[in-house]
Amino acid sequence: MINKIVNLLEVMKKMDQPVTTNPFVIMLINMTVVFIVLVSLSYLIKLIHIIDPTKPKETTADEAPKVAAPPPAPIVEEPIEEGIPAEVIAVIAAAVGAYGYSVGQIHAIHPIHNNSAWEHSVTYPNQRLTH
Amino acid sequence: MELINAFAVSLESVWLDSGFYSFTIGNGIMILVGLLLLYMAFVKEFEPLLLGPIAFGCILANFPRTGFFDEMGVMMAISYGIKYEIFPPLIFLGIGAMTDFSPLLARPSTLLLGAAAQIGVFVALLGAMLVGFDVHEAAAIGIIGGADGPTSIYLSMKLAPHLLGAIAVAAYSYMSLVPLIQPPIMKALTTLEERQIEMQELRPVTKFERVVFPIVATIFISLLLPPIAALLGCLMLGNLFRESGVTDRLSDTAQNSLINIVTIFLATGTGLTMSAESFLKADTLLIIGLGLVAFMGGTAGGLIFGKIMCKMTGGKVNPLIGSAGVSAVPMAARVSQTVGMQAKPGNFLLMHAMGPNVAGVIGTAVAAGTMLAMLK
Repeated sequence: MINKIVNLLEVMKKMDQPVTTNPFVIMLINMTVVFIVLVSLSYLIKLIHIIDPTKPKETTADEAPKVAAPPPAPIVEEPIEEGIPAEVIAVIAAAVGAYGYSVGQIHAIHPIHNNSAWEHSVTYPNQRLTH
Repeated sequence: MELINAFAVSLESVWLDSGFYSFTIGNGIMILVGLLLLYMAFVKEFEPLLLGPIAFGCILANFPRTGFFDEMGVMMAISYGIKYEIFPPLIFLGIGAMTDFSPLLARPSTLLLGAAAQIGVFVALLGAMLVGFDVHEAAAIGIIGGADGPTSIYLSMKLAPHLLGAIAVAAYSYMSLVPLIQPPIMKALTTLEERQIEMQELRPVTKFERVVFPIVATIFISLLLPPIAALLGCLMLGNLFRESGVTDRLSDTAQNSLINIVTIFLATGTGLTMSAESFLKADTLLIIGLGLVAFMGGTAGGLIFGKIMCKMTGGKVNPLIGSAGVSAVPMAARVSQTVGMQAKPGNFLLMHAMGPNVAGVIGTAVAAGTMLAMLK
């Protein structure tokens, strides 16, 4: 039976005729297909989320430690790398703050040594076009 | 005497070759229509970026003896961009570069709202067939309900090119009228308590998800519905430019220079199809009426499904975000936000409504692809 319907559809397609001209059938088939495609897409999105290797680990109540947490380690300020003057750090922090970000979001400031790609992009920005 | 004769013959020749000699009442009416659209675009600011060039193209199309389509020139080249469906995918490239899929990725269930809002497309298709349009014309008219200009033009060119002008004008006019059309329907179909629902904050979406989604979606949908591979592929490619983080120049070009240039060509070319002989018909009024039905049907479909989701989640989903399931990005989402804020100041629905809004873009393209697969 299904084969007969499929054959009929193929014959009609070959004759360059629409498969059906019944508006109710068109409406029903199309809405069904739209829903199936978008529901499938929602499952694909969930799958992407599941296999995402970069997502932060979620801790559930079961996985929570049952022993009391050790006292927090004393906060030790990260030493500022040698070679970066305090004024430069202050200027970078001010620039970040001016863009609307919290200064507390700065984790580290490192000087870039021997990074030719960075230096190249800074020196010759217009030569990075690939075509 | 000979000089006077030559002068008279030359004058007669100039007159016979002039547009005034061949000017018809229909041309005059269409130029007035073009001027009205220009007024709506530039004075009332209804989608000025689109209606402006459409209106001017309409005026240009109604000058007799221009020979625009007799031999290759700029106007014929622009028309080819529409005839061969070059411009709509390029517009989608820019839209993809401008669109943030994060709200959709954070809450994939909103794809269902984008699907439900497509009911307007098929209600209008049904209506169009009942008033006498054939199935191809009805499908092209129905897609107005998707509130997606490029898809409307794409489908019209494939199924009913002679209706392109009326369909494009209806689609873009209603898209500009979203803030007027949707709120009364939204208020009629929802209770105050439903409109006041505050939704939970969306989870953060990683870069991995944002990069992988356009690739996976393109592979899946293009394999399933090849007729819309160009449209959807360009949408997702533009989004990939945006999300990859290493193609900022391409992303910038796609969402600024390219989309602006193509919009000028697409809109002007659409206006050029609005000649008196193809536009001044009773069918045009029917198409504009059916377009409104499609829009209202899509809004209602999204809202009703939003109410269903609200019940099923125990009141965690505000049904107002359902109306954003018609594409019209981001205006439909802004309307959800506005109506939500009217019901409860401080109720921010914009990001929640962006999920169904971008789902609507995909849903409309899928609906178009399904109709192409069935009817072409």
